[in-house]
Amino acid sequence: MKSRKLAGTLAGSCLSLFVASSAMAHHSAAQFDFRSPVTISGVVKVARFENPHGKLILEVTDDERGTRDIEFEAHSRNNMVRQGLLPDMFKVGDSIMISIAPTRTGQDGGYVTALLTEDGRAVGNITAPD
Amino acid sequence: MTIRISKLMILASPVVALSGCGSDGSSGDALQVQTEAVPAVAAQVTEQPDFTGVWTTYRSGGGPGAFNRDGGGQPSLTEVAEEKVAAYQAVTQGTNHSPGAYCVGGGMPASMTGSGGYPMEILQHPDQINVTYEAHKEIRRIYIGDHGYDPIEIFPERNGFSAGRWEGDELVVETTHLLEQVDSRFPHSEQASIVERYSLGMEDGRRVITNQWTMTDPLFLAEPVSGEKKWQELAGGRLLNYECTEPQWVEIVDRLMAGESIGYEGE
Repeated sequence: MKSRKLAGTLAGSCLSLFVASSAMAHHSAAQFDFRSPVTISGVVKVARFENPHGKLILEVTDDERGTRDIEFEAHSRNNMVRQGLLPDMFKVGDSIMISIAPTRTGQDGGYVTALLTEDGRAVGNITAPD
Repeated sequence: MTIRISKLMILASPVVALSGCGSDGSSGDALQVQTEAVPAVAAQVTEQPDFTGVWTTYRSGGGPGAFNRDGGGQPSLTEVAEEKVAAYQAVTQGTNHSPGAYCVGGGMPASMTGSGGYPMEILQHPDQINVTYEAHKEIRRIYIGDHGYDPIEIFPERNGFSAGRWEGDELVVETTHLLEQVDSRFPHSEQASIVERYSLGMEDGRRVITNQWTMTDPLFLAEPVSGEKKWQELAGGRLLNYECTEPQWVEIVDRLMAGESIGYEGE
C-alpha cells in the first residue's frame, strides 16, 4: 500500500508551520515571548487537541505561587500533529514537562512550544503562534 | 530556472503517433506529433498540465530562508476602503479576534496566498478543478469552460465564484462574486475580481506551481494589486481534516445539558 505522509512533516515541518503562523495567525503574537522559552512541569488536567487552536491545562506547583491550574494555548490540532505532538503524549493525570513561550505580562499561561521527554529530547519546535 | 511542464492531449484522433517523449520527465514541449496522413480534426492539440497533487509553500532551493510567502504587494486602498479597514482594525488589532479564530476562512485572495503553510490539495478534472486549502477547509471549485450557472444563482462568498479556461499550458482563473472583506490582508469590496494565471514547472527535481495573480476593485483599490505565489509538491503528502466548529457545538450541548437557556429554543 502506498505510504502517504502528512504534508509538512519531516524536514519541512517547522518551515511550513512558520509560514502558517505568519500568513494566517489565529493568535496575536504580541502576547507571548517566543524568544524567551520557559520550562514548566505539571500534571495534565485538560488536553484539547482542536482547531483553530488547542488548550492544555496543567496543575503546577512552585514556591512562589503554590499549586494552581494554569491554562496554556497551543497550535491547531493539525499543526500539533505535524510537530509530532500527539494526544497520547498529553494524557490526563500524566506528569509532563513542556517548553512554553511565556506571557509578556508575567501572568500564568503561555504558548506550548515543545514537549520535553524524560530523556531530554524536545518534541516540537514551535517558534510562533498559528 | 523553471522548466514548464505541459502534456499534449490529442483530441478526436485515433491515428496520431507520438515520438520524442523523454522518459526523464522532461518538458512535453519535446513531444513531436507526426501528423502525416492524419485527418485535419486530429491536429487539434491542447496543452494542459495536470495540477493534481498536494502542495506546500515553495522554498527556493528547498531550504529555509527563501519563503515565497504570499507574493502580494501592499494594496493601495481608496479612502472608502481605508476608513472601513481602520474601523475594523480599531476593534481587532492586538487581540485574538480574527476570522480564523472563529473557524472562518481567509477568503480570496488570502486563502490562496496563505495556503502552503497548511497544505493545499488540487484535484483536476476536465470540466472542474477543486482546490482545498487545509486551513479552515476552504474549498474553491474552478469551473472550466461553460459552467452553465445563471449568475443570479451565484451568491457572494468569501472565496467567490471561479471560472477557468486554458490558454495554452496556462490555467486562467477569474474569480468574482466576492463578499466585501475588511478582515483580509487584501481588503476588497463585492466589486472586486481576481485573475490568476497558473503554470506548472520543474525546479530542482520538484514540481512547482506558479500563480501570477491580480485583483482589481474600483471601490476599494486605487490601483490593482498583484503578486506571484509559488508552491512545491509534497509527493505522497496528504491533507488533514480541519475540524474546527465541533467544539463550539459540544460546548452548546454541555450548556443545554446543564439546564442553561441560550436563546435559540426552536419551535
